[in-house]
Amino acid sequence: MVTPSIDLPNGLLMTRLKLPPWLVLLLPAILILMAVVLIPLLLSLYSSFTSYRLTRPDSITNWIGTFNYEKAAKDENFWAAFGRTVLFLTIALNLEMLFGLGLALMVSKVTKGQRLLRTVMMFPMMFSPILVGFQFKFIFNDNVGLVNNALQSLGLSSTAIPWLVDGKLALFSIAFAEIWMSTSVFGILILAGLYAIPQDPLEAAKVDGCTSWQSFRFVTLPFLMPFIYIAMAIRSLDVARAYDMVQIMTNGGPARRTELLWTLIGRTGYVDAKMGYANAMGYISIFLAIFFTVYFFKKLTSARAELGMGG
Amino acid sequence: MKFFAGGAGLAALALTTATGALAAGEFEGVTLDAKLIGGQQYEALYGRISEWEAETGGKVNVISSKNHFELDKEFKSDIAAGTTSWCVGSNHSSFASQYPTLYTDLTPYVPAATVAEYVDANIAAATLEGRLVMLPRAQFDVSALYYQKSLYSDPAKAEAFKAEYGYDLAVPTTWKEVSDQAKFFTDAPNFYGTQYAGKDEAIVGRYYEMVVAEGGELFTADFHPAFNSDAGKRALAWFVDLYEAGAVPPGTTNYLWDDLGNGMASGTIALNLDWPGWAGFFNDPSASKVAGNLGVAPAPKGSAGNRTGWSGFHGFSVTEDCADKEAAASLVVFLTNEDSQKLESAAGPLPTRDAVWDYVTEQAKGDAFKSETLAAFQETAKTAFAVPATPYWIEATNLIYPELQAAILGDKTIDEALADAEEAVDEMMQENGVY
Amino acid sequence: MTTDRTHRNRKRALRIAHFIGLFIAMSIICIPGLWIVLNSFRPTVEIMAKPPVWIPNELNLDHYRAMFGGNGQGGVPVLTYFRNSMVISVTSTIIALLVGMGGGYAFARYRFKGKAALFVGLMATRAVPGVALSLPLFILFARIGIIDTHFGMILAYVAMNVPFTVWLIDGFFRQVPRELAEAAEIDGCTRWQAFWRVEFPVARAGIASAGIFAFLTSWNEYALASQLTRSVYSKTMPVGLLDFTSEFTLNWGGMCALAVLMIIPALILTFLVQKHLIAGLTFGGVKG
Repeated sequence: MVTPSIDLPNGLLMTRLKLPPWLVLLLPAILILMAVVLIPLLLSLYSSFTSYRLTRPDSITNWIGTFNYEKAAKDENFWAAFGRTVLFLTIALNLEMLFGLGLALMVSKVTKGQRLLRTVMMFPMMFSPILVGFQFKFIFNDNVGLVNNALQSLGLSSTAIPWLVDGKLALFSIAFAEIWMSTSVFGILILAGLYAIPQDPLEAAKVDGCTSWQSFRFVTLPFLMPFIYIAMAIRSLDVARAYDMVQIMTNGGPARRTELLWTLIGRTGYVDAKMGYANAMGYISIFLAIFFTVYFFKKLTSARAELGMGG
Repeated sequence: MKFFAGGAGLAALALTTATGALAAGEFEGVTLDAKLIGGQQYEALYGRISEWEAETGGKVNVISSKNHFELDKEFKSDIAAGTTSWCVGSNHSSFASQYPTLYTDLTPYVPAATVAEYVDANIAAATLEGRLVMLPRAQFDVSALYYQKSLYSDPAKAEAFKAEYGYDLAVPTTWKEVSDQAKFFTDAPNFYGTQYAGKDEAIVGRYYEMVVAEGGELFTADFHPAFNSDAGKRALAWFVDLYEAGAVPPGTTNYLWDDLGNGMASGTIALNLDWPGWAGFFNDPSASKVAGNLGVAPAPKGSAGNRTGWSGFHGFSVTEDCADKEAAASLVVFLTNEDSQKLESAAGPLPTRDAVWDYVTEQAKGDAFKSETLAAFQETAKTAFAVPATPYWIEATNLIYPELQAAILGDKTIDEALADAEEAVDEMMQENGVY
Repeated sequence: MTTDRTHRNRKRALRIAHFIGLFIAMSIICIPGLWIVLNSFRPTVEIMAKPPVWIPNELNLDHYRAMFGGNGQGGVPVLTYFRNSMVISVTSTIIALLVGMGGGYAFARYRFKGKAALFVGLMATRAVPGVALSLPLFILFARIGIIDTHFGMILAYVAMNVPFTVWLIDGFFRQVPRELAEAAEIDGCTRWQAFWRVEFPVARAGIASAGIFAFLTSWNEYALASQLTRSVYSKTMPVGLLDFTSEFTLNWGGMCALAVLMIIPALILTFLVQKHLIAGLTFGGVKG
């Protein structure tokens, strides 16, 4: 698949520069991330202390200290969006994990046509988040949408249910779209984990008379935990991709009922052009992301330690 | 030096554009980078660019082609990064005031006689702080009332309506009548009386024109918020009342233009205030169920006797950093000249030149639907008005619309919602040093 | 006897439950997607119809024909977008995999100071909200002059995917027992030979899934692409979807047609590459 040609330049580098091998191996990753993420990030950190407006580029030199941060801290709309984002992430990620686990277990038990099933399972991953946004906006349209049309045709409902407007339903609809889009990620990672499970402990468990639930609970699940945490962490980092989708579906509305951090920041930064303020809100929300990352990383390490793969 | 160069260009341009022809090879070797709005409705015009190239010897390089909102984001990013040396950009009257530094004043490059050929109101809206920042193309937008004709030819309906409301059922001319009829026609969830755009700038625009129709204003002359008034409350009450009565689809607060258009085309909406660009779509049997049953009337009036008439238009601008503004201005004039506007308006969009208005009216003779549509839009255009000319218009709409939605959905009362919106806009204006 | 029968009954019930569960899950996964495919063949009047038209009266290729049509007839430079998407996604995936294999191997096999912090640091770069990143990145790219180029997009996507590939591949290398490579080295292999002959094949499942993820992320990414691309030189297909929207209108049927063209190559690629996931299965055999 991947050509083995990199061993040559790496080998050369190692002998010439006498860097420790781990650093040589990591150097490309570090350099690329510094150039594409770290430097721009410093720029936006700086701009969060200015009254930077996109349409007035000279405003970037107008240092206003922590004004933007104070403004964000006092803004109830910001904190409401913050809380809603945490809630949304918690619900969506946990459900995705459960559904993904269920899906992977079901698919792994299938003997015929598994290859096709695996591809079908990954079907939603072929959909660009922005397309998913349009798709579910039309599906959940209250007047001519697929869901309401189906419910009305089947006689299950005689009213037009405002999926994207009602306070609870709107969040549900967004979460549904998000879960539809991303459960596959859990599914496929857990499936890969299931394939990597060594067979002998499972067989030993069977010999010892364990029920299938017991062997799942005490053999399979602990082994899957690192994969689940990897998937969790990756998804929690990646979940901001839902921005495209939410923006198309509701754009945070109506009446801020589905306002998430990303829609709020995106609108403030690009539509209102208040980039300084948007970046300040962005930095506060980065703590949220880092919290999730560190949390899952800790979980990952302990799950690995249990399996004797620590270090 | 620069001044003289500009002056020379002006003279040359005055000579050529006055006769409507371009000097051959005038811009030999000049390449203009352009960022033009993409999308079916707009791109037919760009076919004419090659004519301009052939006549002047210049070359146009389209370096960006995006939809309107993406283009807006790109312009803002460009201003921020200082990458503004491209020359010609698509612009929109509602967005133009946001780019105070990006575009140059076209007055020195376009002869006054040429400017006079455009509709005066459009030129006025394209002039910000005394600078003519864009020339309008034949994409003028104001909304008129689309309706299903069959609803007005049913004697049973007419009788029932008269019994309930005490006056004859006819195509509405006031917003009060629209409201009555919308409630009367509604048969949820299969049929709704009307609908409205419910989010973003769209609902604020709709609210804005309703405030004007009720005799109020959105901002004072120095941009203090002025909508927390009796007129403002009456305007908002119109939206709230229809929502509470269930005469609009319950999802309407999440609708943007495409949802509204699809709703009307699905045949489930009786009355729909919408843009001219939809006329062809609504009357196309392969796209719309109301084709053949579609009437168009001028926008109704509010209680103050004013028509609603929030309007906007697309146009082209030349950047301040453009290396060859004469060539760029020549292209902009070319893309908005009579032939260009005839080409664009043939497909339905409304022109922004007096002569072309006459021309399309002439052309529509014999086609009843086209004539009716044009007459309705022309009548509405007479009293149309642009958005308030403040760079903070879009920012203000983002503060106002969640409050309007909150009132419509019943999260807040009308008074609370308008008071909160007023306070937020006031704070924003002060923070930006407007007053 | 009775226990045997209940056992058999339970087994049958389980099998039926399994089948039903799988069927429901697959339906939920497929229906919204197939709805898009169906819409691409239906005239607009039927898609948004009310009362709904459940059984299509008419299926045609109009949306596709229009899409490949000329300027002004709804034409969209699909082939150019397709080429851009392909070049950018494939290149960035390969680079991200190579970089990720290096990084993942380092984290899985070497002990060094500050490892945990470095790891979290790398991961945190992915946690940065795109909104906070897109503008400064744009300014930076604009200064170097790589806006609207394949190179710029590839660079951005490599950076976006590297934390992810490092993490994933690291996880899979950890599943490979150290002894395996050590045994190979004892057998006279160099470290690199041991890596390519023993550890790489075993971790191939992980690398394949990292590859699929990286490819699909790049293939479908919109937020950054909409900022860093401008014109047909580099616009990718997700950005191209927006060509079907204009200020007031949205051509949903046309958008679906382009979406289908986006989905098919991704689906084919996934179908081809996913068999490497099975490689993980052999791992059990290797160890056992």
